[in-house]
Amino acid sequence: MWKEIGDRESGKLRPNSFITRIRSNRASSLHLSNHKELVSSHRGSVNSLQVDLTEGRYLLSGAADASLAIYDIQRATDYEAGGLIAKHKPILVDKQHQNGHKYAISTAIWYPIDTGLFVTGSYDHHIKVWDTNTTQVVMDFKMPGKVYRTAMSSLATSHMLIAAATEDVQVRLCDMASGAFAHTLSGHRDGVMAVEWSTSSEWILMTGGCDGAIRFWDIRRAGCFSVLDQSHSQLGRRPPLADKSTTKVSTSKARAPQRKVGSGSSSKHSGTSKILKHAKGSAKQRLHPGLLTSQDRATAHYGAVLGLKATEDGMYLLSAGSDSRLRLWDIQSGCNTLVHYEIVRLQTSKAIQLAVTQDSSIVFLPCMTSVKAFDVWSGQSRMTLQGHYENVNCCFYSTHDQELYTGGNDRQILVWSPLKLIPDDADECDRRTEQPSAVDEDNWSD
Amino acid sequence: METNNTPSTSRKRVREDDDSVPESNHSLSLEDDLIFSDTMVALHMMRAQFPRIDKVIVEPFVLQSQLYSSVKDRTQVDRELESLRREKVLRVFKLNTGQDDHALMFMEDYLKQMKRAVKSMETKKQGVFPVFEWFEVHVIHSKPEPCIGHQELLSLLSVGGKVKDEDISLLINAGLLTRQLIDSEMYWFAIPNIGSVLKGITQGRKELLSLLNRKKYKEMMLAILEKKRLRLSPLDMRFHLRDLLGSGHLKTIQT
Repeated sequence: MWKEIGDRESGKLRPNSFITRIRSNRASSLHLSNHKELVSSHRGSVNSLQVDLTEGRYLLSGAADASLAIYDIQRATDYEAGGLIAKHKPILVDKQHQNGHKYAISTAIWYPIDTGLFVTGSYDHHIKVWDTNTTQVVMDFKMPGKVYRTAMSSLATSHMLIAAATEDVQVRLCDMASGAFAHTLSGHRDGVMAVEWSTSSEWILMTGGCDGAIRFWDIRRAGCFSVLDQSHSQLGRRPPLADKSTTKVSTSKARAPQRKVGSGSSSKHSGTSKILKHAKGSAKQRLHPGLLTSQDRATAHYGAVLGLKATEDGMYLLSAGSDSRLRLWDIQSGCNTLVHYEIVRLQTSKAIQLAVTQDSSIVFLPCMTSVKAFDVWSGQSRMTLQGHYENVNCCFYSTHDQELYTGGNDRQILVWSPLKLIPDDADECDRRTEQPSAVDEDNWSD
Repeated sequence: METNNTPSTSRKRVREDDDSVPESNHSLSLEDDLIFSDTMVALHMMRAQFPRIDKVIVEPFVLQSQLYSSVKDRTQVDRELESLRREKVLRVFKLNTGQDDHALMFMEDYLKQMKRAVKSMETKKQGVFPVFEWFEVHVIHSKPEPCIGHQELLSLLSVGGKVKDEDISLLINAGLLTRQLIDSEMYWFAIPNIGSVLKGITQGRKELLSLLNRKKYKEMMLAILEKKRLRLSPLDMRFHLRDLLGSGHLKTIQT
């Protein structure tokens, strides 16, 4: 570490590579934090966690007992064990609010622009927008079914749409500016469990349904423009540059009448390649071009899609399914990169929240009672973070301090951080606010 | 769930066989391909070690989980299987024995099995049906995927001749196509006449897992385990062990 600082100082190491090296070193050595603890006051399983995107300071958690909590993760409320463990109590817990949710909260996300607002979705069919400072519900959207996930685009400059994934087959976009529903996206054949906005475009939305399909929607057009199919695969991170003879094997595409068809994994089309796979017989019905993909029954997983996470560079998408598989998709070509992550079982009834490090090298996946960290490109399991007593539902990686927050059915939120060396000498007493030189004292000393 | 592995039996252990690549290369270098990846070696080896079953004649097939247990890098296995599938050396079949079970069969073996099934069907029904030939020529050779849609199947078969609905039911009766619960519009390719083997796989898995579960510490020495015979499955212990090790239900520990 000191050598690297010296190298950077002398110019041998570029600042960017210095930063990435330190970050990746810290991210690959996560342990249950020995210096930070979040005191969770939830009485139900923690379903959703998110640290705000603007400052990286506040953690928002939603639980199954309709309570929400916000934690300040950078300033502790009090210290314990002689100042070694920082305990963070929630700033806000809200359970008996008269406008609050009645059933379990399944998702709680911050407004991407600042921490003044946050959005929650719950099994009581409502999506509520709250004002953080006054803890009042400012807006309420009623959905036709249980809300599984909501998402807002962090890149959006021209819209304030909340994408809602519910047990209804249609994905709804709620407009916060007007308080009404903007669009309805139909195409899934069963409830939708996962929804993510693209990290490269403010108009592209990705949804994963209980029917196993992952669809890409451009919200400015009707219908989805791409359905990911697990049998369309490419061998490697990116498809080969030369146009080889081994193209995608579904020959029905070659016979599709008069449609603009993308030719598959081995040639690159810029952005407009539509991957349509429709039967010859039904082409006789004149459907709107955007709705043709509603007949595309390709599945990305053999079960339901439980969680989606796009990498920050916007090039890859990770999807976890109830067939206990985690798949890495190349977004531009729409192909499965066939990276095999060794997973034995995943919980199949609830949606799970995945996390990826900023340089897309490690993916954290909640697998039953532990969180497994896999190397994204090779699929090898790097670490298994075992700490929860029951199933883990959600995890969030904070790139700011390279810490991982996980929440599970045991109502706890655990913090995983790179190990911090605890100095034992008593000269550090001026750091602690409460107990000066308490290290040498015993509990029953006078 | 663990089984214990003692070094004294390591000569018979599956893993050691994979390291001895040069020996197996001699017999395989007679074929066109001189380049072997680990997956190919493992496939050929497991095919050679496929257990003989008394009552049914089945061409050897390999379960995908068995490959995972012998080759370390699973991503490499997946990618090599994909390229072999595209080159039509192998066929992949999705089995209904579990969530994500796939069986791999070499093309020659599959064609042999198919011919046998077709012949028995034709002797039973006392007639020659051209649909089987159309199926082999047009569908199998042009569709390496494990499933096919209804419309596509009809269009590919019509290249051979006029297709009637009864022809598709013939294909299903012969065991060449099945439907699975996931999707009612898709037909899945299947290996004919392996129903009893599939039943043996599921029951053998259950029996082996319950055998280990009943032990005090849920573990057993591999040397002893290998010698046991499963009561409910016609397949041998090594087949099931590889399958369960690959799917993660069992693991081995060196002692």
